[in-house]
Amino acid sequence: MEYFGSMLALAAPLGLGLAAVGSAYGIGRAVGSAMEAMGRQPEAAGKIQVAMIIGAAFIEALTIYALIAFFMAMGKLG
Amino acid sequence: MGLDLISRTLKTSAIVLLIFLPFGLYYWGVFPTLAVLSGAVWGFINLIFLSQLVRTVIRPDKIDVRRAVGLGLIKFPLLYGSGYFLLKIDRFDPIHLLIGFSLFLAVMVLKMLGRVILGLDNDNKTNKNLQGAL
Repeated sequence: MEYFGSMLALAAPLGLGLAAVGSAYGIGRAVGSAMEAMGRQPEAAGKIQVAMIIGAAFIEALTIYALIAFFMAMGKLG
Repeated sequence: MGLDLISRTLKTSAIVLLIFLPFGLYYWGVFPTLAVLSGAVWGFINLIFLSQLVRTVIRPDKIDVRRAVGLGLIKFPLLYGSGYFLLKIDRFDPIHLLIGFSLFLAVMVLKMLGRVILGLDNDNKTNKNLQGAL
């Protein structure tokens, strides 16, 4: 049990950090692509913005889920 | 698919939340329902600020830097700070917060699925009448 606890204590912050890095990479790519698309077709800015908002909301939700999972794991650690 | 999709998503999510509240209070009790409500409000505020931030920053014409920085400074501490304090409340189960937070995402997915299934984004004259529905 002690071994499990120490492994969890190591894995939980590491997992949260990985989720944050993945989300940051995803948002960065999405924003870059949105700017590129808008530069090519400025008249489609509205549609691109909506797609960007939806994508960013989902990516951010992933980070929040990781944060909540982290808190739940930390709760198990006590 | 226009920018009004976000406001319609928020309206639908609020209606779903209002329908859920009496059932949640009856079957789950006060604190789990309050946790779902807090999670949903957290998600709504996050979506509102996110859409404002995207509209301000990602645009083809000139960016209002002051507004963008202001929104960023409000949004990120608000999102993660309030989330931290909500998770720290002992009486709130993280799962209930998660259910509330995911509500607008579920509504958004269902709205998008509806649009895809009905083909509302195709430039078809017969579909124009259905545009207001979803």
